[in-house]
Amino acid sequence: MTAAAWLALFSPLGAAVALAVLGDRISRSRAGLLVSGSVLVSFVSSAYVLARLLSEHPEQRSHVSTLWTWLSAGDLQVGFEILVDPLSVFMMLVVSGVGFLIVSYATGYMRGDDEERRYHAYKALFVFSMLLLVQSGNLLLLLVGWGMVGLSSYLLINFWHQRRSAVAAGKKAFIVNAFGDATVALGLFLVIQRVGALDFATVFGSAEAEIGRSNTVAVLIALGLLGGAAAKSAQVPLHTWLPDAMEGPTPVSALIHAATMVTAGVYLIARTHVLFELAPVVLHTAAVLGGVTLLVAGVIALVQTDIKRVIAYSTMSQIGYMFVAAGVGAYGAGMFHLMTHAFFKALLFMAAGLVIHALAGEQDIRRMGGLGRELPRTTRAFLIGTLALAGVPPLAGFFSKDEILANTLDGGPLGIVLFVFGVAGAFLTAMYSFRLLFVVFRGKQSEHVQHHLHREPNEGPLSMVWPVGVLAVLAVVGGLVSVPGGWHAVDTWLEPVSRPLVHPAGWMEAFSPILSVCVALLGIAVAWRLWGQASDLPTALARRYPLATVALERKLYFDEVYDALLVRPAARLAVTLERVVERPIVAGSARATAGGIRGLASRVAATQSGLLRVYALVVAVGLATLVLVFISVR
Amino acid sequence: MLGPTVAAYLVLSAILFATGAAGVLIRRSPLIVLLALELMLNAGNLALIAFARQHADSGGQVFALAVMVVAATEVVVGLGLIVAMSRKKVELDVDALTELEG
Repeated sequence: MTAAAWLALFSPLGAAVALAVLGDRISRSRAGLLVSGSVLVSFVSSAYVLARLLSEHPEQRSHVSTLWTWLSAGDLQVGFEILVDPLSVFMMLVVSGVGFLIVSYATGYMRGDDEERRYHAYKALFVFSMLLLVQSGNLLLLLVGWGMVGLSSYLLINFWHQRRSAVAAGKKAFIVNAFGDATVALGLFLVIQRVGALDFATVFGSAEAEIGRSNTVAVLIALGLLGGAAAKSAQVPLHTWLPDAMEGPTPVSALIHAATMVTAGVYLIARTHVLFELAPVVLHTAAVLGGVTLLVAGVIALVQTDIKRVIAYSTMSQIGYMFVAAGVGAYGAGMFHLMTHAFFKALLFMAAGLVIHALAGEQDIRRMGGLGRELPRTTRAFLIGTLALAGVPPLAGFFSKDEILANTLDGGPLGIVLFVFGVAGAFLTAMYSFRLLFVVFRGKQSEHVQHHLHREPNEGPLSMVWPVGVLAVLAVVGGLVSVPGGWHAVDTWLEPVSRPLVHPAGWMEAFSPILSVCVALLGIAVAWRLWGQASDLPTALARRYPLATVALERKLYFDEVYDALLVRPAARLAVTLERVVERPIVAGSARATAGGIRGLASRVAATQSGLLRVYALVVAVGLATLVLVFISVR
Repeated sequence: MLGPTVAAYLVLSAILFATGAAGVLIRRSPLIVLLALELMLNAGNLALIAFARQHADSGGQVFALAVMVVAATEVVVGLGLIVAMSRKKVELDVDALTELEG
């Protein structure tokens, strides 16, 4: 069984290495097929591991497999090991399953790009990194996967490196993520100091005794992990990189910035919940961060005009829900929402990709409109994704979001506050997602659409259409694995790894869905009133509240504040150091040394006249001098 | 011991050596330079043999023989070079041969 897990891990890496070695000796279409094939192998292996785990007793579903001792420093031994347990298999299935669909879609989306093969190689590298992150059997290897995911995300965001904005976005994502990596590393140093090991079993086993002794240490470790989780999952205040990351190709946004990488933070909290539970303050901080993020992102999404940015803010907001769930201790609910979100958000991104594809690269929704008649299938897919996102029963998002809301009700006073946040977020979600749907697909066709829309049979190449269809089906039925009042498959499955801290009572499971569906329908109605029909209400509102509108359009000034506080002082410091240290001292000393040696050399070279008699004279004079010296000094 | 003392031989040897050195330094024809070199080598030989006689040790004479062999080979190579130069119509002037300057 562990052999299958290793195969799942290394198959995408093999594809990436093969593409790097083969270069242009492999055809573009074969490169795409190779990568999707390798991810399919991962998915099939993961499914096999799942089947084998299912046949075991729930309490024994945990297997560690070590290839070799990777790092040995004094008493600290870290192996190259993977852990196969319900949580990692759950993530493996989501990553490789959704990953396979998106990679297949990308073979169509990227066809004809100059550097198609490089793209496919990066994508395979990303899938490997993500699988390493979720499969790793110790915290160090997890951090390695964590960093590699950031790296491949960086490579894919600025894949179109001719665009300045894409390069800037990639850099921003990398720097914010590196900040998170650093805090995780600091947390791990404390763990090493206290426990002296990094593998999950030892760390979690002795956490209570070794780390729990000191409240400060427990809080610091959990804060370090939370810093990494918030950076990777784009939670306030480390969220600014995600909207910019939409500069990358659309399948990248679907895979990395919706379905897999950004949910790694939720996985980290669920995986290391033992460490978080030793510091409840930090766990609650995570929940509050999630609650704030889901509201902030939802509000900003209302006014954004780039189709992918709207979906990106929606992603932040949905991950906020997952953080709320993880923060109140409902790990199963968080992971369940992670899965359904992967389905419907990947669907939304890929449908948006079809729209962008049909409009030859246009992403501004103000220049769209009336596409419903032209792209009926895309419209249906988008509608399904939007309904699932808004939480309309019986689609996937309804079940998972309401499980989170029901769980928060059991979380004490803080839980009640978070519940209110969540319900408000549900209203916003319905509103902004239907705004997007109405603006893009309803109303009058803009001039841009009339000129640039190119119609294709089936609204896109087959390789792009079928993954959208599969995801649409999953977005409809994916929620049925867990039904309130009925069964909780995800919770039960994950129970041995991360036991939830909250147990919602029956009335909570009944009350929260009813309330949130009412709120979502209200949100849809408001969206219909504002954007569903020809109306000048939105512009009137914007004119009435100009300050609020501008603040939202500028994304609540997060970028401006960071720019003033961090970026510009750093740039000024760099310029000053360049002027005061680099040019006079570093470069100056090097230049002076080189000039001095060159001058000396030219003077010495002058003695090399080539005149034999001069050389002989020098030898004779030297010899005579030596003889005189030896005779006189003795 | 009959004949002049060692000092006399050494003085003669020094004169020969100085003459040779002056020839090497002053003359421009490679042929003469070679001759002057021979003079310097034989000045050394004279000193070796004089000391050998003073110490009644044949080591110095053996060493002088070795120097003569070296001198002979050196003359062969040197003369060969000079002949080759004149065949190639290269000017026979050591000051003109400055191609190895740094």
